[in-house]
Amino acid sequence: MSAQTFKILVTGPFAAGKTSMIQSVSQTQAISTDVVTSGEESDVKSHTTVAMDFGTYCLDGDDTRLLLFGTPGQARFRFMTNILKGDVDVVAFVIDAEATETHAVAGVELRALLRDLRVPAVVAVNRCDDITIARRLARSLGALDGEAVVPCQLIDPDSGREVVVEILLTLLASMESTKVEVA
Amino acid sequence: MPPPAPSAIPSLPIPSTVSAVTPPNPTDILDELVDTIDGVRSAILASIDGFGLARSSSMSDEASHPAMLAAAIGLARQLVLMGGGEQLRQLVVDHDGGLMLVWPIGNERVLAVLAVTAVEQRRVRAFVQARVGSLAGTPA
Repeated sequence: MSAQTFKILVTGPFAAGKTSMIQSVSQTQAISTDVVTSGEESDVKSHTTVAMDFGTYCLDGDDTRLLLFGTPGQARFRFMTNILKGDVDVVAFVIDAEATETHAVAGVELRALLRDLRVPAVVAVNRCDDITIARRLARSLGALDGEAVVPCQLIDPDSGREVVVEILLTLLASMESTKVEVA
Repeated sequence: MPPPAPSAIPSLPIPSTVSAVTPPNPTDILDELVDTIDGVRSAILASIDGFGLARSSSMSDEASHPAMLAAAIGLARQLVLMGGGEQLRQLVVDHDGGLMLVWPIGNERVLAVLAVTAVEQRRVRAFVQARVGSLAGTPA
């Protein structure tokens, strides 16, 4: 079987945990474009992504490779999402469960992105340990019933890998459904 | 004999001397740049995280402009590492309509100068170099 490479778009609001996730799961040196924040955003966190994050994840003993492209979170950097979203296989949408003030806009973004890209999504609900709460939040953002939802603590690499597992399962499911359509 | 030229513009080091006079504001500096150097069309100063700080009156106000400069500098810094370097000196966007010269100003700001292709880059650099403290906005 030939090697397969999949492109994953890691996106979501400012300070949701996108960079942490890519840095914690990447098996190659993650590329990041973090800079110091200014103004009100510096009250939320000290650094922010201005262009992109990039990481990779290969499945042990297999020829499956994930390329993780992370976007900045703020609306002023939306052009980067537009640049990075081409040929995406799965959207990993990261949301901070506790940053409730970001949820409404995040829902609008997620729905628009999925309408546009027509690919499956994995919703990673950061700073959340409860699958019921995570599912409820994901549904409120516009995730469909069948879409994968992962409560996680992205500061912890093991937790990031759980998101990657869901991404892999989602890819598998989407390949199987494609086969059925072809048949 | 003239003093040695400042080491290219390269991320424009901020002079450590203290100025007693009120530093001119960046908007005035950018307008002066456009007015005094032939071929310079406009200029914009942004924070390294993508907020607009000042622009010449010839530059339109678009929220995405400072964000694009921040993203370009962010990526260019990674390209410097790819190239085996450590510090980004300048980013030049050479296009069919002219030139865009982009310099990090201190550690927290970025300046873009939009000009015609034939602009005398040395003059632009010297102008900016002489005012880098005010553009950096860091209290001397």
